[in-house]
Amino acid sequence: MTAPGDPLERRYRRLLLAYPRPYRRAHGDELLDVLLEDAAPGRRMPVLREAWGLLTGGLRSRVTHQATGSAWEDGLHLGVTAVAVANLAALLPYARELPLWTLLSASALLAILRGRLRTAFALTLLTAVKAVALASGRQWFDVTVLPVHPGGLSGRALFQDSDPFLVAAGYAIVLIGLVVLASLRRPARARSWWWWAAVVPVAWAGPAWMAEGTEHPISLSRMAVEAVALGLAVTGGYLARDHRWAMASGIYLLVVLGELAFHVQQLGRQHLAYAGILVLLTTAAAFVPLRQRRHCLD
Amino acid sequence: MYFVLTALRAGPLHGHAISKSIKELSRGRVQPSVGTLYGILERLNERGVIAVDREETVNGRNRRYFRITDEGQALVEAEARRMQEAAALVLRPSGA
Repeated sequence: MTAPGDPLERRYRRLLLAYPRPYRRAHGDELLDVLLEDAAPGRRMPVLREAWGLLTGGLRSRVTHQATGSAWEDGLHLGVTAVAVANLAALLPYARELPLWTLLSASALLAILRGRLRTAFALTLLTAVKAVALASGRQWFDVTVLPVHPGGLSGRALFQDSDPFLVAAGYAIVLIGLVVLASLRRPARARSWWWWAAVVPVAWAGPAWMAEGTEHPISLSRMAVEAVALGLAVTGGYLARDHRWAMASGIYLLVVLGELAFHVQQLGRQHLAYAGILVLLTTAAAFVPLRQRRHCLD
Repeated sequence: MYFVLTALRAGPLHGHAISKSIKELSRGRVQPSVGTLYGILERLNERGVIAVDREETVNGRNRRYFRITDEGQALVEAEARRMQEAAALVLRPSGA
């Protein structure tokens, strides 16, 4: 038995944060009790094996807690969230020139994350109309000096190598997804605040890894975020044997492949490698839930 | 999983007692971390192979006692038979 505030207890409590809050509330003290009973007297630092066990156990517990309810509904909501992040990231470097529209796009993402589907639809629709207008050189809602130059994060003008149709398609996927989810008349799950952390790296044009002057350059930061997100989708599908993450990955991949298809004449080996990584990870996310069970607990 | 179910055949146990029992049954070869052990316990519980027998409060902390269900009993016996048959392929006298 340790005294309250004991360094070992404090450190194990910190490691228990790896578990989802409901599980921690229900059983955190029980796990702590076993950990402290096993600990050698006077020990101040957690045993490495126990620390690793708590981190991996917490991750598995988080994944299985997420894999509840309808997989396709949740997968659709996740996919819509990912595309909404990309839509906001496209506007973020131009926030100084387009403060209202960037704010509206951020508000749409916030509404999606909180499961406010109708509000999200209205905000996304407004942003979509303005974004398509800017991509096609029209002055709808307010007057904007074109081309819109970035204030940071990017060196290219807004939608410089895009097309009104492509911009519309990105928003249309979010809008269609929101309509489908809202028509179910079931509350959508609130999503993690970590989604915000993806916006800046996706918006950032560096570090550059493609030759200067490349048409439709893909930044290393964006590729890294996408690879990590899809890697998590594969891990989730593997641990929970659930297809929701594969569905979300597929929706996002559709948008990326649409962009690449539009620039098919200018694609280089690096573009193909980038597409290959995303396709490979999405395919893996689709197949890992089907893996054979080795025993009754697998 | 096998050692957890084997440990619970002796009667309901809490997490720490299961951990100690696994170590004894496996002669120290198997020592799951607390995170791994509770992951296994939660999954066994979800699948009805074990169940929570009772809860007690010790040192101000909740402690669950787990027991093996009939399904779990059948499962661990089937697994033991399978391993025995597999071992017999190697250990039976040659030419038998």
